[in-house]
Amino acid sequence: MVKALSSNLLARGFLTLVLLYLYAPIVVIVLFSFTTSPRLSMPIEGLTLAWYQNAFANPLITKALTNSLILAAIAAIGAGLMGAAFAFGMMKLVQPRLRQALLAASLLPAVVPLLVIGISLAVLFHGLGLPQGLRNTAIGHVLVSLPFVVLTMNARLETFDFTTLEAARDLGASSFQTFRDITFPQIRPSIVGAALLAAALSLDEFVVTWFNIGNEQSVPVLVWGLMRRGVDPSINALASMLLFLLVCLVIGSNFIGRRNT
Amino acid sequence: MTATTGTTGRWGEAGVVARPLLPASLFYVVFFAVPMLALFVLSFWRANGFVLIPDLTFDNYEKIATSSLYRVLILRTITVGFITAAIVVPLAFAVSYVMRFVFETRGQVILQLILLSLFSGYLVRIYAWRTILGKQGLLNSTLQWMGLIDRPLEFLIYSNFAIVITLTGLLLPLAVLPIYSAMSNISRDYLEAARDLGAPAYTLIRTILVPMALPGLRTAFAFAFLLAAGDFVTPTLVGGTQSLLIGNVIADQFRGIGSNWPLGAALAFVTIGIVLTLYFVVMRLIRWVTTW
Repeated sequence: MVKALSSNLLARGFLTLVLLYLYAPIVVIVLFSFTTSPRLSMPIEGLTLAWYQNAFANPLITKALTNSLILAAIAAIGAGLMGAAFAFGMMKLVQPRLRQALLAASLLPAVVPLLVIGISLAVLFHGLGLPQGLRNTAIGHVLVSLPFVVLTMNARLETFDFTTLEAARDLGASSFQTFRDITFPQIRPSIVGAALLAAALSLDEFVVTWFNIGNEQSVPVLVWGLMRRGVDPSINALASMLLFLLVCLVIGSNFIGRRNT
Repeated sequence: MTATTGTTGRWGEAGVVARPLLPASLFYVVFFAVPMLALFVLSFWRANGFVLIPDLTFDNYEKIATSSLYRVLILRTITVGFITAAIVVPLAFAVSYVMRFVFETRGQVILQLILLSLFSGYLVRIYAWRTILGKQGLLNSTLQWMGLIDRPLEFLIYSNFAIVITLTGLLLPLAVLPIYSAMSNISRDYLEAARDLGAPAYTLIRTILVPMALPGLRTAFAFAFLLAAGDFVTPTLVGGTQSLLIGNVIADQFRGIGSNWPLGAALAFVTIGIVLTLYFVVMRLIRWVTTW
């Protein structure tokens, strides 16, 4: 009894430390986006919103934000639809080994370093004569989001009841009708959830973007430029806004994706 | 690649089954497989300034093999990757164990928190570590303020230490995912039975937990090792001049002054080759140890 209690305390302490380690960077950035001292050090002198005003005064930010939102929308729709269809198609396969192999293959882009994906896409587009810019970057974003969409859709579809589809077909519905009236309404929340995740991944993507966006801007590219120029406290404000958007998207994705199914 | 796998063996049915698989499969082929192939082909080309000249030369590979600079960088990259994976995988194992067997259903909430951190700010979190570990950063200034140290601790930033700390934070959530999912298939009963029969904790780990979570551990190791070895943003922001990794050189060949795409492509494939070989050696070793 005593042993169980102490091991429980130990476990709790351990997980707290791990979570602290994971969240410390995020907390620090948000906290120091509100402090008056431009240097990130203790003790904190005072609080201000000036860095947010500074961030918005940067002429590049509107451009970067617009571009990032366009990219996120394309990634959400492109990866969301293709990934959902892929996961759904996999479910219909009867041989489990084939399904496993397809799942593993579809996750490959998540194991290849983004650097390699980024430069290989740059080489492809160069070969095709397509100049760097938002179009190339958008394709890259769809590619890096796809594995995560397939993975989450796959997990959600495991509880999907395929007998309702057979029932519909038996009652004379065409395959299109079955999809429109039975399948789609049931899996729609999962698709929206996965698409929001893709949007979050796109919004946060830097490496593939860096090699394909050319002279265009996106929020992470802007943040990178500021970081390399030295300590600019408006980075913290910009980063905090990015974090806020990301957290909203991921929580939204989880919340919507878990509804029904 | 998927069209011939029907259940009835008739093409019509098989076609219907395969149709939803097509768009993503096609996308993967055109924008993942073909680019990798193109990168490989490019590694045998030459560059003259910004002009790429088709060729079949091994010059790039020869340059890499004979340069001590690249050897040092590749060795350092592998070391950093290994150390990161050696910290990330056991840590993720412990986290998964606690979530699965100590907290059980409440572990789900913690899992969600860990996953949330995975999607919140790659670039931002690396930068944050620089501000935490910096010479006048949060950690040093706090320690000085509290009077625990007189001078800032220099090893904290622009070092391999900083790189490993940062990469561990980035990759831990990704490693928890497969290990936790593998562990959720392990029944509590096995552990209790073994415990009742008097097995000590390390026997439980060696004979039940590790073998049964092996697929997850393997994926986690792959994530941690491959992605740590391929990162160039972390060494750029928190590494010093003495801790640049091969990813920095590859990135510079593609987006930097005096870039050389074919050489960068060759460097990428040499690194991938070495990293994959090591990965399979480690997997072999793990299998050998666990069946032993």
